[in-house]
Amino acid sequence: MTPLVRRWWPTALFFAVITSMPLWIHDGYVLQLIFRVLVFAVLGMAWNFVGGYAGQLSLGHVAYFGIGAYAMTLSVERIGWNPWIGVLLGAVLAALAALIIGSITFRLRGPYFALSTLAAAEIIRVLVQNQDELTHGAVGTNAPLLFKAPDIDAKFFWGVIPLLAAAFALSTWIHNSRFGYRLRAIRENENTAMAVGVNPAVDKLLALLPSAVFTSLAGSIYASYFSFVGPDTVLTIEISVQVALIAMLGGAATVWGPILGSVVLTLTSEIFKTYFEHTHLVVYGLLLIVVVIFLPGGVISLFTRRWSFRRQVGPIGAQQ
Amino acid sequence: MGRILEFEKVTKRFGGLLATNDVSFHLEEGEIVFLIGPNGAGKTTVFNLITGFVKPDAGKIRFRGRDITGGEPYEATRLGIGRTFQVVQPLPALTVRENVMLGTFLHHPRRKDAADRADQVLDFMGLRSRADQLASGLPLAHRKLLEVARAIGTGATLLLLDEVMAGLNPREAEEVVGLIRRLQEFGITSVGGVEHIMRIVMSLASRVVVLDQGRKIAEGPPGEVVHDPKVVEAYLGSKFVAGSARP
Repeated sequence: MTPLVRRWWPTALFFAVITSMPLWIHDGYVLQLIFRVLVFAVLGMAWNFVGGYAGQLSLGHVAYFGIGAYAMTLSVERIGWNPWIGVLLGAVLAALAALIIGSITFRLRGPYFALSTLAAAEIIRVLVQNQDELTHGAVGTNAPLLFKAPDIDAKFFWGVIPLLAAAFALSTWIHNSRFGYRLRAIRENENTAMAVGVNPAVDKLLALLPSAVFTSLAGSIYASYFSFVGPDTVLTIEISVQVALIAMLGGAATVWGPILGSVVLTLTSEIFKTYFEHTHLVVYGLLLIVVVIFLPGGVISLFTRRWSFRRQVGPIGAQQ
Repeated sequence: MGRILEFEKVTKRFGGLLATNDVSFHLEEGEIVFLIGPNGAGKTTVFNLITGFVKPDAGKIRFRGRDITGGEPYEATRLGIGRTFQVVQPLPALTVRENVMLGTFLHHPRRKDAADRADQVLDFMGLRSRADQLASGLPLAHRKLLEVARAIGTGATLLLLDEVMAGLNPREAEEVVGLIRRLQEFGITSVGGVEHIMRIVMSLASRVVVLDQGRKIAEGPPGEVVHDPKVVEAYLGSKFVAGSARP
């Protein structure tokens, strides 16, 4: 095998398998479950730019998710645009929000940063909730469909794959580029980063921008698939936490980590919901604790110890 | 030849403490100048002022004739001032090579070029065999060398070494002295050092600047300065004068 083939066959195989899934999986529930896995993989990868590589533990990424969902919905409903234009509007608005939120919250470090991002997302939720005339307030409203029948499940499924591929490509680039190393330097030690010529304020923002845009795009697709936007569904803190957990559980600052994290977290929470009913959150919590204690590098460290892409591991303990 | 660094009447106050009190000195191209003085004399603060980690309350700092007073640390680095930290700060989750690449990336945007340059620096520092090891696994002496390697990697022309010899055994320190003498190979024309080990200072420095409680109390060739009564009193103690026959 040539080095190129050797390096990329797992990626090619992965994308070939998931792309073919709607052709051989005919169970709507299973397809919907995997669709959620893929959307959250995109979200985990997007969060990873900021939270994993740059080590800035954002707990407010739902803000960009919600902006994507609401921008698409409201530009159809209030302006009468095509929903896809609304998706683009969401991405632009998310980038603007990232510039504003980032330039304020990145002044803070460690837990103060995390709390400030959480607060920023809450501000957006409260704003949306109180603008009844524009947003339908706390009640929420129906989201438009980005894909029309027939085979709507398969179309949504295929709709998210280009997004996943783009997030994967950007992750791979960050992982190996000078920019990625600058982000790691910021994560590990801002003083050292500055001593090698990194401007942390600028680079953190540069990481947040694509992160917000991908999160917004995923938010649009997700809301459209479930045909609903509401402050309690697309602007809830739970999504922020889940996205961060996915990246860290799978393996922060790795390309495959968030994908793995999304598979593990989305599937286990679904299984636990089925088998443990009301106690599923307890089991879920225990699982998280076990992974954090025994696999501090994330689930991916199970594989990378044996396989040759070992160097993709960046320990979670490196977070501030 | 010319003045590479000018530090002119710089004052820095931390609350009621004058960490640097109206201190002036300069560095010529090609010179190795050490700052010495007892603990708390303000030596590291001077380095922090030059590299922008601390902003002065008064005075001017010029690098190659350019005013850099109050600039940001990354600006100082981009202009060509490299530094090490007294408390070594390698990035533990990265390999030794990657740590140096953080420096070499500054002038070598492509990963391959940055890695090649990093390997050259590691060769020079005698760390090449450790290149693929995680920095967290290095013993102290090697972490100190790594700190220097990263600073060299930034393509600095002025290198500020903050106590790189502390904690090294005499043989290791001797090796580092040899490396410092050969830094021109990497385009470093001038070195500023802070060091406590007098034997090292005596053998390396063309000049020393003596600080005590934030003030400059003496300056000159090391052989002369150690006999200056003010220096003896403030820092070295009378014993050193008796033993200075064997510097």
